[in-house]
Amino acid sequence: MGKTVGIDLGTTYSLIAYMDPETRRPKCLPGPYGEALCPSVVSVDPDGSILVGEPARRRLLTQPERTIYSVKRLMGRGVEDVQEELRLFPFRIDPDSQHVIRVRLGERVFTPAEVSSFILRELKSWAAEFFGEEATRAVITVPAYFNDAQRQATKDAGRLAGLEVLRLVNEPTAAALAYGLHEQQRGLVAVYDFGGGTFDISILQLVSTSEGDIYRVLSTSGDTHLGGDDMDNLLLDMAREDIRQEFRLDLDALPETLQELRKALIRAKHELSAADAATVKLPLPDGGFYVRVVTRHEFEERIRPILLRTMGPVKQALADAGLKPEQMDEVVLVGGSTRIPLVRRMVEEYFGRRPHCELNPDEVVALGAAVQADILEGGVKNMLLLDVTPLSLGIETMGGVVAKIILRNSPIPASAQELYTTGVDNQTGIDIHVLQGERELARDCRSLARFQLRVPPLPAGMARVEVKFMIDANGILQVSARDLHTGEQRSVEVQPSYGLAQEEIERMLEESIAFAEQDFAQRQLIEARNEAESILHHTAKSLAREEAAELTAEERARTDQAVAGLREAMAGTDYKLIRARIDELNQATMRLAELLMNRALEVSLRGKRLEEV
Amino acid sequence: MNLAAPDLAASAACWNCQAPVRGEHFCPACGKVQPLPPRTDYFSLLGLPPRLALDSADLEQRFLQLSWKLHPDNFVCASEFEQNISLERSARLNDAYRTLRDPVRRVEYVLALAGMRKEGQTKQQAPPELLEEVFELNEALDELRAARRTGGDARASADLRARLEGAQKHFEEKLREVDEQLAAAAREWDALLVAQGDAAAQRRIMERMNEILNRRSYVRNLLANVQSELAEA
Repeated sequence: MGKTVGIDLGTTYSLIAYMDPETRRPKCLPGPYGEALCPSVVSVDPDGSILVGEPARRRLLTQPERTIYSVKRLMGRGVEDVQEELRLFPFRIDPDSQHVIRVRLGERVFTPAEVSSFILRELKSWAAEFFGEEATRAVITVPAYFNDAQRQATKDAGRLAGLEVLRLVNEPTAAALAYGLHEQQRGLVAVYDFGGGTFDISILQLVSTSEGDIYRVLSTSGDTHLGGDDMDNLLLDMAREDIRQEFRLDLDALPETLQELRKALIRAKHELSAADAATVKLPLPDGGFYVRVVTRHEFEERIRPILLRTMGPVKQALADAGLKPEQMDEVVLVGGSTRIPLVRRMVEEYFGRRPHCELNPDEVVALGAAVQADILEGGVKNMLLLDVTPLSLGIETMGGVVAKIILRNSPIPASAQELYTTGVDNQTGIDIHVLQGERELARDCRSLARFQLRVPPLPAGMARVEVKFMIDANGILQVSARDLHTGEQRSVEVQPSYGLAQEEIERMLEESIAFAEQDFAQRQLIEARNEAESILHHTAKSLAREEAAELTAEERARTDQAVAGLREAMAGTDYKLIRARIDELNQATMRLAELLMNRALEVSLRGKRLEEV
Repeated sequence: MNLAAPDLAASAACWNCQAPVRGEHFCPACGKVQPLPPRTDYFSLLGLPPRLALDSADLEQRFLQLSWKLHPDNFVCASEFEQNISLERSARLNDAYRTLRDPVRRVEYVLALAGMRKEGQTKQQAPPELLEEVFELNEALDELRAARRTGGDARASADLRARLEGAQKHFEEKLREVDEQLAAAAREWDALLVAQGDAAAQRRIMERMNEILNRRSYVRNLLANVQSELAEA
């Protein structure tokens, strides 16, 4: 029935974890390079094959127009939302994008959910490799402050990757689960989650009951566009300006050099977590050489405004929970950006206590997702997670004002009923506009969906329809309606403002299945070519040795023929043919291998007495 | 509507084993989760009598215990039908807890149940004794804003700050006062329910509670305005 896993689908890195049945501890799975971190980078080849992770990341330098990173920033967003990103990220948005962004990668166009599904597929293949069995169900984490559209896009990505998404779990909550299991924490916990692209703060209360431990989120806040990426962009702006001044060179026209520079700056940022200074070196295409020393002091001064932006949500979350910073029993740090010493100092000063960072801040969210996956499968029975919705849900009323029907930080699932009637005689439809956000006016909130309620033609005010708005345990909105006269349930066709319609998902699903076959074939081809490469190399070396002279002319000819045959197959894309030719070559070189083996034995036996053999 | 007795849903049959069920979360015979009868009120959902006096520790215990049983996490492997029931029931449980734990929203809810007040209503009614003070304060605020526009006057500004702080203190007292009135009315209401008081008496207290709530909205709004002025000053 397949494995159940926890997945952290991150802005910079993604990870997959599972609950180890032996130790009853969550563990991250290694990828083909032995690393648990899979760079959230996707690259598309001219032949349509898709690369994910480390190989794709290398392509950022050589083929930036076919490669995309930080796609999480685009999830569930409209074109007008991302204008700021486009200034700094080399994303090529398709001009046909409407309510869903479409990104151009080489010849093809993808939605962010599709790009994310490629990352999920890659992680799935890690699991298949590790378990020898498919992962079919998953808990996927999302930033706590993700809105409905961003959550829906994440769920769509899971489906497109062929995963049953058991639950979307908020990242800071997942981290609290991992820490709770690890440290047996109790009391009030603040989770400060500062990642590559998003910032979240959650205040939790850990309660022990006779049934087990309850992880109850009291409040959450954040910024879905605040993270390490912003620091990189700041450094990039600085270096770009340096280069413009010093070398009169505009890097905007040189995407490859720009990516190279970005990579060097990120390396410097990482170094500055341990060292007092880091040197950025970059050869420029015109023969110049950019060298820049960044001290930790300068770095801290530059990023300070970004770090201060995290404090607004922190204060908001505490105020919403009715708590003060000094009341926290524990503070937990999550996300790669919390490795920066200034971040740690700031958090420690504000809460007046040393934050926890025992668990690897990159892995802790994925570990928590694995714990939640195990809870849902019935493995862990004595833990329960009670989360909240990060944003208020409202409906537009007269004059564009929003009436809030579910307030932010309400425990989920949460529901609200509204009664609707008609304003004029024989009116057959009532328009409803659902929004998310804290502002008073509809135009300042996030539009989630619009739909029309169908009602029978009746005198004004006679029709009575009750609409039920439900935020499920994933934080995703469901709408249903009931006619109070007849008691019958009415179907509601909701057109998401920034999401994919059901039929679009179905179509993508069909395409993705075709892709999965193609992906599989692609992987096989790469592996077969690699193996062929190595066997050809080995054969050439063997043929060059003196022992090869002992081959008969016929044997020699057969070997040469097999080598030529394999080379020919390698030029094509049929991995089965390559495999067959590898076998032929192995057959043809059997005698050669024997000769070499005998010689090796002779050498090792030389000097030994016969009776020793 | 007789609020003295919990409004339990009429008995029905369990969808799974046909045993009779009377609004319980789970079938007493087979243990399967049961659909939520329409109009189940928050009190009976939590197994509480419809009283306004409520022990918050007890409420929290009940909420957490029911969460263990009803949360959708427990139904991930169950049928879609049961998943939907769990979603429905735990959403209602969360809504109930959110409403009942707050003494003011609790009163609002009881009035809404009796059809005396629309849920989420924010009608405001000025307490007559506050009118003169509010009038003077508004005038002073207008003067100060005008002074601020024509270039700052440090003394006037310090003057106003002191005044606003005085008003803030006064309105906070007023809010406490209104809350006490509401609590007193709530106690009366509970006593009346225990004594099975007549409908006319119930209605009179509900009207009074409604009026106190409207005054409370006004005072709270006033206080919020003063606080935001203070933040700006």
